[in-house]
Amino acid sequence: MRKIIKLLTIVFLLGSQFSFADDSDTELSDKISIAGYITDASTGEALIGATVYIPELKGGATTNMYGFYSVTLEEGTYTIEFRYIGFLTVTKEITLNKNTELNIELIEDSKQLEEVVVIGKTNTNVRRVDMSVNKLDIKTIEKIPALLGEVDIIQSLQRLPGVSTVGEGAAGFNVRGGSVGQNLILQDEAPIYNSSHLLGFFSVFNPDAVTDVKLYKGGIPARYGGRISSVLDIRLRDGNNKRFGAQGGIGTIFSRLTVEAPIVKDKGSFIIAGRRSYIDVFAKLFTDVLSEGAQLYFYDLTLKANYDLGKKDKIFLSGYLGRDVFKFDANQGFSWGNNTATLRWNHIFNDRLFSNMNFIFSDYDYSLAFGEDNLDKFEWNSKIRTLSFKPNLTFFVNSNNIWDFGAELNYYIFTPANAIGISNGEATDISLPLKYALEWSIYFNNELNFGDQFGLQYGLRGSGYSYIGPGYIYEFETIIPGQRQNLVSETRVEGKEVIQNYFNLEPRISLKYQINQRNSIKASYNRLSQNIHLISNTTASNPLDVWVPGTNNIKPELANQYAIGFFKNFGINNDYETSVEAYYRTTDNQIEYIDGADLLINQYLEGDLLLGIGRAYGLEFYVKKNTGKLNGWISYTLGRSELKVNSINNNEWYPTRFDQLHNLKVTGFYDLNERWTFSASFTYISGTPTTFPTSRFQSQEYVIPYNYLSSRNNTRIPDYHRLDISVILNGKKYKKNGKERKNRDYWVFGVYNAYARENPFSIYFSQGTDRPAAGEPVPTYGTQLAIIGTIIPAISYNFKF
Amino acid sequence: MIRFNYIAILISMILIWGCEKNIEPELPEAPPLTFVDAWITNKNEPQIIRLNKTLPYFDNSEFPGITGADIRITDNENNEYVFIESETTEGEYTWTPPSDSETFGKIGNQYTLTISYENTILEAASTMNRVPEIDSISFRFEEGNSFFPDSYFAQVYAVDPLGPGDTYWIKAYKNGVYLNKPSEINIAYDAAFSAGSVVDGITFIQPIRDGINPFEQDENDEFLSPYAPGDSVYVEIHSISNFAFYYLTQVRVQIDRPGGFAELFATPLSNVVTNVVDVTNNQPLIGFFNVAAVSSKANWLDPDNLPVE
Repeated sequence: MRKIIKLLTIVFLLGSQFSFADDSDTELSDKISIAGYITDASTGEALIGATVYIPELKGGATTNMYGFYSVTLEEGTYTIEFRYIGFLTVTKEITLNKNTELNIELIEDSKQLEEVVVIGKTNTNVRRVDMSVNKLDIKTIEKIPALLGEVDIIQSLQRLPGVSTVGEGAAGFNVRGGSVGQNLILQDEAPIYNSSHLLGFFSVFNPDAVTDVKLYKGGIPARYGGRISSVLDIRLRDGNNKRFGAQGGIGTIFSRLTVEAPIVKDKGSFIIAGRRSYIDVFAKLFTDVLSEGAQLYFYDLTLKANYDLGKKDKIFLSGYLGRDVFKFDANQGFSWGNNTATLRWNHIFNDRLFSNMNFIFSDYDYSLAFGEDNLDKFEWNSKIRTLSFKPNLTFFVNSNNIWDFGAELNYYIFTPANAIGISNGEATDISLPLKYALEWSIYFNNELNFGDQFGLQYGLRGSGYSYIGPGYIYEFETIIPGQRQNLVSETRVEGKEVIQNYFNLEPRISLKYQINQRNSIKASYNRLSQNIHLISNTTASNPLDVWVPGTNNIKPELANQYAIGFFKNFGINNDYETSVEAYYRTTDNQIEYIDGADLLINQYLEGDLLLGIGRAYGLEFYVKKNTGKLNGWISYTLGRSELKVNSINNNEWYPTRFDQLHNLKVTGFYDLNERWTFSASFTYISGTPTTFPTSRFQSQEYVIPYNYLSSRNNTRIPDYHRLDISVILNGKKYKKNGKERKNRDYWVFGVYNAYARENPFSIYFSQGTDRPAAGEPVPTYGTQLAIIGTIIPAISYNFKF
Repeated sequence: MIRFNYIAILISMILIWGCEKNIEPELPEAPPLTFVDAWITNKNEPQIIRLNKTLPYFDNSEFPGITGADIRITDNENNEYVFIESETTEGEYTWTPPSDSETFGKIGNQYTLTISYENTILEAASTMNRVPEIDSISFRFEEGNSFFPDSYFAQVYAVDPLGPGDTYWIKAYKNGVYLNKPSEINIAYDAAFSAGSVVDGITFIQPIRDGINPFEQDENDEFLSPYAPGDSVYVEIHSISNFAFYYLTQVRVQIDRPGGFAELFATPLSNVVTNVVDVTNNQPLIGFFNVAAVSSKANWLDPDNLPVE
């Protein structure tokens, strides 16, 4: 660790020297910058990651998360190309003699859409410093065959190397052997604590409202922190500031509607996107179950508005409301949901200094209710609320030297359980005290390019964390390792006193050596820390999993990740992108659970947790064909993910539930013509680990499985493989009279699990469901469960105008 | 500990894509291991301790018994109860109350189980804790819905005595048949579910009171009314040690596997705890020893005598 900081310091000094040498006062006066936003001409939406290329220099810049770019050049005349995939390139000849603001609108290449041939792909993947980053654009996501035809961002991520899940129906995703709670999921900068609808079958993000999806699996820039496995950064669309637009669809599960319009043309716009499931509406036609107060539905509403306050300032307000409701009668049920709000202010100080400031609110809650009437009921809810402030400054010294500075302040309020039980008219409040925590961090990040050949991105993040009162300090002692710990003391802390502080330094560094236009080698190291933890001891993550703050007992989770990669493109137009990456990740303070841990409404929860270490390593292969009628990609990951926790598995390493040796995904599209697209995706995953018993013993009337070696995850369930197919039929583009139709529509027909494989989710052991006869031996069974064991067809209709 | 089987049932009724099949995978081999099953009560009936060897998990035959063991329980007042080996069933050892009015033990006393066999000594300890009387067992009628037919449900009422830390195992018998399915394990920590959320000194909360109803399905997988007119119900509350509560919590996690979507909520298979120690080799054994005080009550369903709502 100390060595790394030393190294970073040296790099930092070198870097700053380099940049200062480059920008000494005399030179600076000769330098002129050109900066602005690049937007979509038809909607006014910011284009993220658009390229500004200057052939004379064989270099340029890309737009940031907000569509802003800045290039610094010597005085002179230049050809500047503005490029974005699927859009016509704009080329401008510009004579620069003073700092220039240049906003560019790009026009969607309709011809390209007709021929459905992507041309002119740049070699961004080879050229950029960052590695282990995957970007999915919504147009691609929409083409991937999906469960019940519902376009889904989290399911689409599963097609990428290094990403996995424990199975269908499980919430969240696993990245490079990390657990679900170790992913930072941001939607317009607001953290999303549970990304699932309907357990884990669908995700909470409405694809109609999303413009950009980026997954950082490694080489994570210093501006992100707080989770140790990955960052999923989802950006919402701004809404059309040119004209009114609407899109939507009717699918098997959801119906969706999005409307967008200018508030003031070219100055501000809004978008409102809603989705709601309508199983309940359907079900009412066939059964009277729902007439007795039973409900089953889920919805989400995504809102965003933006407004230009003059040339230099833009403000954005985005919000998200999502909820799942399951009620089995009027009094009893279960519900969960996320709510977020983000207020963002982008300010351009000058052509080189861009600022982004966010005020964020985010909460996640679930609630449960049981009982017959008001004399006998049990009501309970649990919550995590966050208030955040995130300022960030980007300083474009020149196009080869970009600095990021920023800070983050998070205030957390945890409601572990707000619960009341009424029994026979007597009420007992079994609520647990609230918990509070404050997290702060500051960081810098510097991206340097030394010509075309060398690229360097390095940064440092200091993460502080305070677990604060009012609250209780619990101290435990271990009597038998692996069993419930004994409570030694319980101390009440009044007021906002600090109970426990933690501080971690997180160096991040990525290096690129570009051999030529088509080949590059990259390496990265990052250290990450995590102070709030998702507690889950079930096979799959589920909505009742609770977030808890770090305490005197729960220490920060830490990860070190090393990665190295080789990137190579083939073909004249970078037709094929390929990469191989190797990663090695070690983790500290990984949370495990005693057997029989009581995670719900337990004030002594900390006494049921165990801390261990983890390691994960793997090789990721990726081949993508960008061009031609047949396009798509293949991802293959060879990986391992293991934990070592005192008292589990005889204190030896054991594989995690999501350890998958082989993970192969093939995703292909065949664009027959402008009306028909055929898509297929194939998945092959090695069987995930599980624990089998060896023996049985009897305790009173019950037969109990026993594992003679006390091993964890000592065997594997059979392999998983699945084929999904879909066909997209685009509506006619022209009317009968030859005029172009104003609105577009398309049908999607699909089948999930095309050859109806009963892919095992788990194998469990039980004594069966029949009542055992008294005095007779109890029969026992092994049962293999497939969550999805049939072909699931789907159809949806989508429109846009 | 709250279970969400209802939710799982609901969801699995709506999502019908899943499927389950019985399999018999090859399991790792293991040698037979000794286990102890010793749940002693103060009921006026013979008290049985079983000393057996484990079997392979899928082996449904009788457990091999261990013969020739010396088994006795002593308490802190120097009373000794010697268990006599059964002549008919191998591995079974019995202490029979000397008269119709005598029972095992005394509330508040501490008990030590000692088993000697084949040069090995096993030990375990337990305390006989207090148990509340059952106030009543009543029935109520609920009109059917799409999940359930018109049904009679039984409820047991008892008040947990003041002071946290009482733990109980509530056993129910319908028409003399013990409700012995894993899903019917009904345990209480004070008046509710767990040590970490104190609900003390009140009537057992409703899910515990309702935990004496069998949920059976007919051949068409339709639920049946738990009780029918004329049915009898008999309920016992056993006071168990806190450790026994913890043990049964783990047992339930391991063996109550309704399958389907509940598997998403399942925890990994692991060995349950034990309070039996092999003192000769200084290592934990398998099995459990508990001494319980028992209270009981019975009732039968008379539809003409239901509480009016």
